Amino acid sequence: MTDKGPRSAGGAWYQHLLLAPPLVFFAAFAVFPLLFTLYVSLSVWSISGDHRFIGFGNYAELLTSPDFQTTFFNTVAFAVATVLVEYVCGMTAALMLYRSRAGQGALRLAFLLPMMFTPVVVGFIWRTMFDPSYGPVDALLRWVGLPSVPWLSERPWAFAAVVIADVWQWTPFMFLIIYAAMRALPTAPLEAAVVDGASSRQVFWDHMMPMLLPASLTAILLRTIESFKLFDVVYLLTGGGPGVGTATITLSAYFTGLRNGDLGSAAAMTFLLLVVVLVVTTVLLKVAARIGRTKPRRRVVELPQTSPSEGVPA
Amino acid sequence: MMSKLGAWGRRLFLLVWVVFALLPAYWALSTSFKRQVDIYNGPKMIPFVDFTPTLDAWQRLWVASQSDFLPKLLNSFVFSAVSSLIAVVLGAFAAYGLARFEYRYGAYRNDDISFLIVSQRIMPPIVSVLALYVVYVQLRALDTAWGMILAFTSMNLPIAVYLLRSFFAAIPEELEQAAALDGYPAVLRLVRVVFPLAAPGLASAFMLSFFFAWNDFLFALMLTFNKAQTLPLYISSLSAQSQPEWALIAAVGMIALIPPVVVTLVLDRYMSKQVLVGGVR
Repeated sequence: MTDKGPRSAGGAWYQHLLLAPPLVFFAAFAVFPLLFTLYVSLSVWSISGDHRFIGFGNYAELLTSPDFQTTFFNTVAFAVATVLVEYVCGMTAALMLYRSRAGQGALRLAFLLPMMFTPVVVGFIWRTMFDPSYGPVDALLRWVGLPSVPWLSERPWAFAAVVIADVWQWTPFMFLIIYAAMRALPTAPLEAAVVDGASSRQVFWDHMMPMLLPASLTAILLRTIESFKLFDVVYLLTGGGPGVGTATITLSAYFTGLRNGDLGSAAAMTFLLLVVVLVVTTVLLKVAARIGRTKPRRRVVELPQTSPSEGVPA
Repeated sequence: MMSKLGAWGRRLFLLVWVVFALLPAYWALSTSFKRQVDIYNGPKMIPFVDFTPTLDAWQRLWVASQSDFLPKLLNSFVFSAVSSLIAVVLGAFAAYGLARFEYRYGAYRNDDISFLIVSQRIMPPIVSVLALYVVYVQLRALDTAWGMILAFTSMNLPIAVYLLRSFFAAIPEELEQAAALDGYPAVLRLVRVVFPLAAPGLASAFMLSFFFAWNDFLFALMLTFNKAQTLPLYISSLSAQSQPEWALIAAVGMIALIPPVVVTLVLDRYMSKQVLVGGVR
């Protein structure tokens, strides 16, 4: 990178050609659809093609619709609940595995398995798992002596079912990133703390946690972005029901736009979703940037360059 | 002692979590070997004790008159592979540019450009797919292979650029200068020297792209209706029946699991250390 000066001066044509395809794709598949969706959201737009500009009518209608309010609440609540539970479980699993001497390889692959299932298949698995008549979950509850639960047909339970399915599939992702970061930690300061008489709880909270903060934020940021897209599993598991009890904005937009043919209203929904995602992402990126700036005192190790081999028991 | 208690707590947690992770996977696998009666009289867990396993579902998949499985499998495979290949090739050139040259488009420098490109992945796909649907209707791209491949490429190109940039940045420029002294023209330098050195990165980007395209449901649901449908669409159409044939769905699900498992096993080394953590700094 030392000779960037002279090479940047002219900027040969082929240098710009290198960037052209992604930028063209970006324009065609992100910028244009975004502006187009904005325009559609300000119109009465039927799927047959008829359309008429109306301004903010769709938005006004949505914001006063109880169904949309529920859908909006669901989307945010799913994001908060799944990311929170997945982070805590992923961190715990990573820490427990990091501290155990045996079985790291096999257990790690077992932990990662759910992530490899196609989301639609995850929907199928949990729909049959939670089935009241032939699913194993209720059978297990009965066997333990607990009453059976209307998993897919009543609101709080259906909501929990979606969260459980998502946690099953995506905790592995949190685990993957945090566990990799853990193994890249320098072991010397941790061992020194143990020699100084720190309990394992202190070692974790005072020494490991601060060093794991950047990786944690990365994992949380990526999962948060993805969690707002929640669709496939809900589509298969509950279909958004009961009523709109577990519907997400993506799901409602699909049903409103393609099934009911009201593209204008659907577009307005997706725009409101986009606003939420942008606000949340911006906040998280700001937090990440601030933590990135204040890190030097803690001797935080840059993850990518460190060789993790020393942290891995044979 | 406390630490002994802690050790047992740790083992208990690991055991519970491993059961939680594997049990649903086992449930799916065992379901694929069940007869319809055994499924609906369930839950049956242990083969030969609870139920008599049968290969019925696995065999029916391959019989064209009984299922649409093969064409959908082929679609999924071709769309994922071709779109990932395009994404990686185009992404590699762009990533190389971003790693080696200094760009300035208005206020946008290299970091801003690469963030701009990857920011597409922050946008929920439903925002763009509604507009794409309208455009695809006009272009007659609905339910076509090229329409799906373009859509998947647009989904994967940002990731390819973002991941590969850090790989190319890590390749010493001196190697290229040496090749230049040996008389290699610029394009050959790239293809003969730089790309082979970045092979692990290119492979990772390809496999990750494949993984995303393979698992896509929303694009396929919105932009296809018949001959360009993919495996996830096939699964969802099977499960929409009143008494779904879960065994058939489970068998398809197990086959759909193969590419991601291969990807994960191969990527495991890079992914846990460099690609993800390094790429998303």
